[in-house]
Amino acid sequence: MEDLLKGIMLGLASGGIYALVAVSYVIIYKSTRIFAFSQAGMLVIGSYTFWQCLVVWSLPIWISILITLAIAAAIAIIIERVSMRPLIGQPILAPIVVTLGVMLFLRGIALLFWHGEVEGYGEAFLPLGVWHVGFLSLPKIQVYGFIICMLVIALLISFYKYTRTGLGMRVVHEDHLVAQNLGINVKRIFQYSWIFSCAVAVIGGMLLGNIQGVGLDLDANGLIAIAAVLFGGLESFGGAVIAGLAIGIIQIFAIQYLGVLFPGEITMLVPFVFLLLILLIKPYGLFGLVRIERL
Amino acid sequence: MTINVDRPCGTFDSNYYQAMEIFRTPLRKFLMIAFIVLLYAIAFIVDDYIISILIVFCAFSIGMTGLQIITGYAGQISLGHAAFMGVGMYTMAVFQEHVGFNFWLALPLAGLVPMIIGMLFGVPAVRIKGLYLAFASLAAHFVIVYAINNWRSVTNGTDGMYLHRPGVLLGIDFMIDKYYYILVLTVTVVMIYFAKNLSRTRLGRAFVAVRDNDIAAEVMGINIAHTKVLAFGIGCFYAGIAGAVGGGYYEYVNVEWFTLTDSIWYLGFLVVGGLGSIFGAIAGAVVWKSLDELSTLVTPITEALLGGMAFYASAAFSLVIYSLIVIVVLVLEPRGINHRWQIIKRSYRLHPFPY
Repeated sequence: MEDLLKGIMLGLASGGIYALVAVSYVIIYKSTRIFAFSQAGMLVIGSYTFWQCLVVWSLPIWISILITLAIAAAIAIIIERVSMRPLIGQPILAPIVVTLGVMLFLRGIALLFWHGEVEGYGEAFLPLGVWHVGFLSLPKIQVYGFIICMLVIALLISFYKYTRTGLGMRVVHEDHLVAQNLGINVKRIFQYSWIFSCAVAVIGGMLLGNIQGVGLDLDANGLIAIAAVLFGGLESFGGAVIAGLAIGIIQIFAIQYLGVLFPGEITMLVPFVFLLLILLIKPYGLFGLVRIERL
Repeated sequence: MTINVDRPCGTFDSNYYQAMEIFRTPLRKFLMIAFIVLLYAIAFIVDDYIISILIVFCAFSIGMTGLQIITGYAGQISLGHAAFMGVGMYTMAVFQEHVGFNFWLALPLAGLVPMIIGMLFGVPAVRIKGLYLAFASLAAHFVIVYAINNWRSVTNGTDGMYLHRPGVLLGIDFMIDKYYYILVLTVTVVMIYFAKNLSRTRLGRAFVAVRDNDIAAEVMGINIAHTKVLAFGIGCFYAGIAGAVGGGYYEYVNVEWFTLTDSIWYLGFLVVGGLGSIFGAIAGAVVWKSLDELSTLVTPITEALLGGMAFYASAAFSLVIYSLIVIVVLVLEPRGINHRWQIIKRSYRLHPFPY
């Protein structure tokens, strides 16, 4: 029982961030129907930029966050304008290869500037220490991280629901041509989607940097989040959140109970085996849109 | 039918067999044979350094041709191609070490084992396509790397394995690099010939039909799930053979040689070379591996300039420059080098006239 609760708590903590990263994929997929692998690279860039501002330049925390978000927005605009917009209407291979290329480009940039060393925020970002609730010991950074993730996601969902731009994004999700005819600037919506998505990914990067250490390996979390997006369905925020949390819990339980059967590091294996199972059983995920095609 | 300006004037198809010929004119046949003879002859002229580059070119041309069959012909996206190349290398090493097969017996197995694994990971293709299938191959990469890393009794884990070249056959000692190059080149020519031929068969046309419109293909009576799985199988067979002959040159294999990054470069440089043609696959492989060679050549210069930072700098520069090349080519010339080459050939043929 104790192990079970502990596993669920740990799983929720890492699952919250998977959910956040999954949401950053969903934002772009929803409006542009492109799966932006580059968000895995944004995690790395976000964590390193924030570290640079906060620790190296020792700026105040709010200014550091603003600078990081601004850089994320700038990168988003560049990616969208330079590499994604010319690909509108191209077959699906082109955006996949380009976003993968951008992922490696961002990784290369991070390696160039920060030499791939693993850094940490120390006390500068979220408070360290542990809360003791009964027999559970909750690391504060994970609890704060989980709360921040859920807040950001809630903010996004309400943005989609209650603002005019959000409405436009939902219309674009339905059909690009119809949206264009209704007077929505589809290209502008694409740009907004990239900016929001990169901002969310960067926040995910900051939190991950706090928990796992700032480093190049953070993009593995971005790849794990792919399993979450797929499980939830590529177009659904709710699905991404549920699936992200589920992946986190499944991962922890698999490590706890199946670690005996499978030697070595299975943190990457579990989500991808799960992904294969989803693809075999329910390929469009829990809440994904099953597109019916015809000739 | 459009007028094909890729041919000299006066060459017309008067029956279907002519339209299906690989070499439409005697001159082309002669040039191709001369080129292959030149590739063989080069082994006796150049030194071992050039030979090593040529062997890498050959091995990756085979692998890239396999990806061309999956992606260029059948239109499926594989993000695990480097891993399948690794499976080929490891199959070779495992059968040599644990079963005692020699190179010749292990070579077909090094193709068949990745083929079977590739088809297994292609099974989700029964229900899905496009992006979803790319995810399945991404999962294949992680499962394969995990299996190699942790199935220690068979694969030696992260320590890597030794594999052996064939010994003396018909008086030729394959331990000498130039003779091994001739072996690799022969395998490459045979594999590429089969790939070229595949596009003319029923299966090859089925691949292209599935790529262009899978629903239409299904309506026409093609079993698309079957076709997709077979495309993965054949492509992974090529990857395995590529890995086996490439690993044979180094006589050693390590799991760190095939990362997700390599799989992405495979896909990226396939597009740089040009989708849907064998020439494009070879061009992509040659460009990719030339860049690799160039980046090792400039490492001493960056070391002199940057001192201790050189290791990071060269790794980072290769990431940045390769990805820029892939992105720029996709944005500006999505049909790749192959298309440029066709344009050059055409303008030469039509010389005084613009079109």
